[in-house]
Amino acid sequence: MKKKVWGILYQVLCLGLGLLVISPILYAVSVSFMDPDQILNTELSLLPRRLHFDNYKIALNSTPLLRYMLNSLIIAGVSSLVRLVTASTAAFAFSFLHFKGKNVIFILFMATIMVPADCLMVTNYQTVSQLGLINTYLGMMIVFCASALNILVMRQNFLSFSTELYDAAAVDGCGNFRFFTRILLPLNKPVLTTVFISAFIGTWNTYLWPMLVTNKNEMRTVQVGITMLNFPDGTVYGPIMAAATIVLIPTITVFILFKKQIVSGMMVGSVKG
Amino acid sequence: MKQVSRGARRKRSFFKRIEPFLYLSPAAIFFAVFIFYPFIKTIFNSFFLVNSKGEVRYFVGLENYLHVLSDPSFIQSIKNTLVYVAMASPLAIVIALVLAMLCCNKTKTSSAYETMFAVTMAMSLSVTAMIFNLMYNPTIGVLNHLLQKQIRWLGDPKIAMVALSIISVWMNIGYNFLFLLAAVRGVPKDVLESAEVDGAGILRRSVSVVLPLISPTVFFLICNSLAKNMMMSGLVLILTEGGPRGSTQTMISYMFQQTINNQNYNDGYAAAIIAFIFTFIALCLSFAFEKKGVHYQ
Repeated sequence: MKKKVWGILYQVLCLGLGLLVISPILYAVSVSFMDPDQILNTELSLLPRRLHFDNYKIALNSTPLLRYMLNSLIIAGVSSLVRLVTASTAAFAFSFLHFKGKNVIFILFMATIMVPADCLMVTNYQTVSQLGLINTYLGMMIVFCASALNILVMRQNFLSFSTELYDAAAVDGCGNFRFFTRILLPLNKPVLTTVFISAFIGTWNTYLWPMLVTNKNEMRTVQVGITMLNFPDGTVYGPIMAAATIVLIPTITVFILFKKQIVSGMMVGSVKG
Repeated sequence: MKQVSRGARRKRSFFKRIEPFLYLSPAAIFFAVFIFYPFIKTIFNSFFLVNSKGEVRYFVGLENYLHVLSDPSFIQSIKNTLVYVAMASPLAIVIALVLAMLCCNKTKTSSAYETMFAVTMAMSLSVTAMIFNLMYNPTIGVLNHLLQKQIRWLGDPKIAMVALSIISVWMNIGYNFLFLLAAVRGVPKDVLESAEVDGAGILRRSVSVVLPLISPTVFFLICNSLAKNMMMSGLVLILTEGGPRGSTQTMISYMFQQTINNQNYNDGYAAAIIAFIFTFIALCLSFAFEKKGVHYQ
């Protein structure tokens, strides 16, 4: 009996801590429903007096928020798909094919993890602007099209795939490309999902690079746009929090739904503790 | 007839030889153009005088480095970055570790609070910055209300960097937590039970049994957060632009300011390479520590 009470108390404590951790998010959602008077009031108020939807109307109607979200969706979606292609083909070569210099190339690929992208941004900016890709979708997503971590995750999965099946397919006259597209990829859908989702969330959330290569308002991504929202009067916080809530909904939903896949993808690149 | 088949065979063996590289080429092209080429070019250009259009003029040796290192605002930004790393990296790991230890055993509601602990991982930098910007607001922000104080979170040079560190700690809790949770759950049950039989209390068990067993994961997170935090610039660019009075300028935000705003590529390239060297040294130091402190099974 005593143990049961302790168990419940323990869970209540953990749930309380959980609410504390997510309190900034709850606060943002709460403010998004407050009217301007309540936000600007110097009294402390944590919950809206009544549900006030005007902030959402302002955020959706008088700003290009939906356009920003469309831009982000295109960039994150397409570049994550390209990443699936670049990562799966490279991982296939590393795990099934034999060729000279395999280890050297693998080490070179993995070395890219060690180079922080931020150090290279200025030079990449120059490359992209020389290619005439400023203010284009291609320019925004081109640097996100390959990731060594994704290759590593896929290789790890492909290595556990039976080589007997590969050999049997080869004996039956099934070429590498057919084996890759007809057998390997369909049987490794879980890892493809993992890579796609984590790539998508990562690209959707990225700020610096899209900010650098865009200066036209209608090309901005949602992460860049949200820091630059302009509203007519001084009552900015309500609509900004409404916009923040709208932007958060897709990522948090995807994260909660696919938590297992995301976690399993994250763990591969690290040590086992 | 024979010759044709030999030709076909040769063609086939040539294809066999280059085939692996065809599979590698998509990724290799992106790596070459957007990682290897800019990395080499940035190092190369840092030894040259570059004009405001980004064109290389002539070789100047280490002059760019000397110039940027004699700029007081860059020295300040190095200090700021190190202070930020020293505040943000350990705190985010310690908090996540405590939360992971709390979740060691599964309960009926554990998936609910585990998700809440982990969800900050899905937060984006700019949305988080906007939320904390409101919370930090000196007059209407919730933090000053709760603390009953009049702190100028982002306006006071002494506090602004702390305020940015708090945001980064919060954002990194989720990521660190997920790794540590997997590690804590991976500790063999019988080890814990035998420690319990020996009379070790819950705190004792956590510190002297669990912690050594999960030290590889902790080490991985230390490296990861050192590398990430050394490169910090997004929060600065969104919230403070390096101010007040240069107190939040980091190495990378300095680099952005010099190159994008002032078209001074000489300082920018040198700053980028110095930031890279700092990160590299930090990683080497933590690897040196790893030999002493990390126990692999």
